[in-house]
Amino acid sequence: MGSQLAFKSRIASTASLEKIFNAQEMIASSHISRARKVALDAKPYTDAIFDAVQSLVAHTHITHPIVEKKEDNDRVAVLALTADRGMAGAYTSSIIRETESLLAGLDKSGKQPELYVYGRRGVSYYKYRNRDIAGTWEGNSDQPGVEVAEEISKALLDAYMKPAAKGGVAELYIVFTEFENMVVQKVRVLRMLPVELVHAPKTIHIDSKPITPEEHDKTAPLYAFEPGVDEVLDTILPKYIQSRIHECLLTSAASETASRQNAMHTATDNARNLIDDLTRKLNASRQASITQELTEIIGSADALNKEEE
Amino acid sequence: MAGQEQSTMQVNIVASDRPVWSGTARSVTIPASEGGMGILPDHEPVLTVIREGTVTVTEAEGTQHAFQVNDGFIAFDSNKLTVAVERGSQVDEGQHE
Repeated sequence: MGSQLAFKSRIASTASLEKIFNAQEMIASSHISRARKVALDAKPYTDAIFDAVQSLVAHTHITHPIVEKKEDNDRVAVLALTADRGMAGAYTSSIIRETESLLAGLDKSGKQPELYVYGRRGVSYYKYRNRDIAGTWEGNSDQPGVEVAEEISKALLDAYMKPAAKGGVAELYIVFTEFENMVVQKVRVLRMLPVELVHAPKTIHIDSKPITPEEHDKTAPLYAFEPGVDEVLDTILPKYIQSRIHECLLTSAASETASRQNAMHTATDNARNLIDDLTRKLNASRQASITQELTEIIGSADALNKEEE
Repeated sequence: MAGQEQSTMQVNIVASDRPVWSGTARSVTIPASEGGMGILPDHEPVLTVIREGTVTVTEAEGTQHAFQVNDGFIAFDSNKLTVAVERGSQVDEGQHE
């Protein structure tokens, strides 16, 4: 049985840890509503871009480097979205695990992956292991602004648009965590570039024969593109990429906050259980010492009585 | 246009991080890449690149709003105008013309 003093100090330190965990949990849950608001605020813009891209796809044969596969280049870029801070359970480690298996898979299929990392935890993981990183970004992983998305998409598009001889890449994969709900967050790998233009239901497939004006009327309004289709594509496709990346950042941020809240909730519960346990042991040890003292007193009193007789 | 139903269109101005303004308007001018462009209700469907400048919206009652925007694009179809820009903000509160 340990000393009462040791139990008391352990209980005190666990209690202060519990307070910290509880505070972290409350902070995380307050951040979640904010993350949800940010995601909702960004949605109209994303929708507008998506609609514009859809109508471009429906009306023109798009020939733009962003949608075309480059066959002559083995290099691919991989962007991993991790957290800036720890205390988020397995959030960063599951991203890293998925990234590693993606890198290994790409290596096996004869590609040369280049790694880009967002988030301080991921950056320090790879720096510590002396891995080659093509680019890193840090800061605000739990509330990424448009500026970060802009920086990242600019750097990656630059790498993508460069010719193979100058170190350009042919594909871009993003490893991120999708926010499904407060309890479920899934790690996903998304091939961002070249863009696969998905058709909304009931529109004509791009590979079908040239679209006639009559068919246009049946599907969507016939747009006039100004100043020209190419200029519009040049402007909108990079914005589309940027908004997709921003979307990934936002859903990752929401997942990070949610897994932090879950982790902190579990930690708070554990701390409380530990305190209960320790308190019980403290009581037992106090009772034991009282019993021992009583036995000693009674024993010695008995001995004295016997001597008097 | 007294006594006559004024035609209006739905306008949505969205920046990449938040919606800026939405409402109905009777005319909108935008800084199109090849010079200013005015859009009235029932314009033909159009997708245009815009550059940095000011978007002016005139509401049905004549209230004018000005928005500072940087590059983006506008899409107009079925009497709905969407102005999507990287960054945009309202310059002044509504003024009567």
